[in-house]
Amino acid sequence: MALPLPPGLTQNEVAFLAEMEMVTVVPRQRLDSIDLLGGKTPQLRPPHRAQLPLWLALLLKKQRRANIVPPAWMHPASLAEIIHRETKEDPEAFSPPPPPPSRALYSQPGTARRLNPSYLDDFTQTQQDSQQDPNSILSSPFLPSNVAESPAGYLPYHWLEVAEALLTHAGDDMPAPAGEVRSLLRDLVEVRAAKMRSSTSALEGFGDAYLTLRGVGAMELAENRAFLAGLVDGVRKIGASAEATRREEEEEARRGGDYGGDGDDDSDEDMGL
Amino acid sequence: MSYYDIDAILTDAEKIPCTFQIDVPDLGYLDNQPGHTLKSGSRVALPIWLAEMLAIANTGAVDMDDPSQSSKSFITFDLPQALGNDVVQALKADPRSVPLRDQSAHFYALATHMMELSEEPELSAVLRKTFVSRAAEIVLHARKVGGGGSSYHGRDGGGAGGKGKGKATKDDNASNLGVGGAGEDFLRGLDEWERKLFRSAHDGTKASKEWMENVKKR
Repeated sequence: MALPLPPGLTQNEVAFLAEMEMVTVVPRQRLDSIDLLGGKTPQLRPPHRAQLPLWLALLLKKQRRANIVPPAWMHPASLAEIIHRETKEDPEAFSPPPPPPSRALYSQPGTARRLNPSYLDDFTQTQQDSQQDPNSILSSPFLPSNVAESPAGYLPYHWLEVAEALLTHAGDDMPAPAGEVRSLLRDLVEVRAAKMRSSTSALEGFGDAYLTLRGVGAMELAENRAFLAGLVDGVRKIGASAEATRREEEEEARRGGDYGGDGDDDSDEDMGL
Repeated sequence: MSYYDIDAILTDAEKIPCTFQIDVPDLGYLDNQPGHTLKSGSRVALPIWLAEMLAIANTGAVDMDDPSQSSKSFITFDLPQALGNDVVQALKADPRSVPLRDQSAHFYALATHMMELSEEPELSAVLRKTFVSRAAEIVLHARKVGGGGSSYHGRDGGGAGGKGKGKATKDDNASNLGVGGAGEDFLRGLDEWERKLFRSAHDGTKASKEWMENVKKR
């Protein structure tokens, strides 16, 4: 029997993966460094803050051995600003993702370079060469997007999962009443879902059409993946015969010794970007 | 389309109007004249899988003395009524109000197959636009039926006034047997491709809702 699950990840799986994100924690008890597969966790010496993976932070919080510091973008003011941006300023595209972390480049004043201080890396290696570190990781959950220093006003990839987890288990650590933050989050979910639905209208026109999904969160992707894939596949099938005819004509034109014109313009590599 | 695909098999069973180009002895019963020859030029409705083979194959007989009589196909076919001009015009006018299922349960599959057999650029453009605009409507209904109602700020009006009743799927526990309306008619008029889209959109919404509610239990 075929697997009944939709293609891709389910919501529970996405939430599980989101627990790899790093968050800032204020410990209440001392804890030594733990040797994990990904590296050593930092030593917890209260009241100094430390960065831990979310799953460990939630565990310590449940045991009352730490408090979690919510990231800056979860503040109600930040969420309200994001909602404003989604509805008024840019009703077509999603709000942009947070910029990758960067530091000033001392050898060339006025410029910055990307850096990725994941807990795997050694901080010293990033100061050496002035070129971009070829190994810098730019995908969640290795981006530090949920620690206390993360920039406000941007929604990181796992925003919904992390926000819900923090509200549920660490609601008392929030700077504002959890109810307020939760209602703002629900608003944001609805706005973006409506935007995702209306973004499919870009496919109506003839020719190459694409949907921009920059800034979409993980949970939203999991929800809409099956539908969007089905929709784009349907459009492909409807246009399949016209596409085949067009390709044949191009082949004939090319083979007919006529090398001018759009021999290579409409090749498969051209994505219309 | 794959050989074992049920939808492909069902689509190919749909009938299209064909015109015989030659006389065929003993096939008169197709035209309600059993025992007689089926005359060239008579119109019969044949299933696609048969019509396709007959239309593409030709008789193979080449008449050396009279070149104008050289091999022609057994039949020629037209578009089925489901893809007829009035349907196309109705789709151009308002794609969301046409109940495609009444035309054919496999409307898009049928159209795609016919477009493979003969060139129909206008049909292709109309269908693409229809598909996309109806898909937007479908996902709207899927969200409503999936129970996305509690904090719904009414950002988009939607097709139905109240919650439309979705078709009974195997796992349709979100029993929103609410007031039907224009929504219910729309959902009843979906063809197979659109039903699959509805199912996937509905499942996605339902899973999200379940996850949100279960976050507290972890």
